[in-house]
Amino acid sequence: MAFAWKASGLTYNKYLSVAARVVRRSLKDDKRLAAERRGEMELRFAKWTNGKQGDMKSVADANAAAAVESASSS
Amino acid sequence: MNSLRIARTALRARPAAIRAPLQRRGYAEAVSDKIKLSLALPHQSVYKSQDVVQVNIPAESGEMGVLANHVPSIEQLKPGLVEVIEESGGSKQFFLSGGFAIVQPNSELSINAVEGFPLEDFSADAVRSQISEAQKIVGGSGSEQDIAEAKIELEVLESLQAALK
Repeated sequence: MAFAWKASGLTYNKYLSVAARVVRRSLKDDKRLAAERRGEMELRFAKWTNGKQGDMKSVADANAAAAVESASSS
Repeated sequence: MNSLRIARTALRARPAAIRAPLQRRGYAEAVSDKIKLSLALPHQSVYKSQDVVQVNIPAESGEMGVLANHVPSIEQLKPGLVEVIEESGGSKQFFLSGGFAIVQPNSELSINAVEGFPLEDFSADAVRSQISEAQKIVGGSGSEQDIAEAKIELEVLESLQAALK
């Protein structure tokens, strides 16, 4: 099976998260506020070089940047 | 005299032998005609191995209805409506954002999805406004990734809008 999202370089994980996000946004207001909190990710990481911690980056932002890079290179 | 007695017991034994297969046929009725449904989301389990009559699922390979004793299979789900027909005869509708349905050999059905809500929890206005927003992005000159994401959103929203009607 050929999927449109696959052709544009997205992973199945990304596809699911986009689909879930839009489902959450379509809820009635009271349910939406509770549900949208589940979509947030605050995971951070830092690269350590020579025993020193580099700057903290958000995993979500870094993933998005990597996806754009891989899409443009392919 | 002796041979006559044997013949008589044989005559008496026969009706029991005829009745036996009939009793064995009745055994099949003891097997449940219900399917055990588990509908699980990461944050909640909606059904936990509950007996239901039928489940209609939107698989990538087409809409399918799952009854008891279904052939074991694994199906990827499209974002769409899952309909559960319960023992009492009533049916419940859930909109799932996409995931997998696994039919196990012993009449068990496991459905996993990221998000799923009863159909009445959705707002038609929110869907309509998001469709026009996503269409703008698809037709616009954003990055390839933005357009791809908007196309996914559009697919989900159109399925949701069709379900809400």
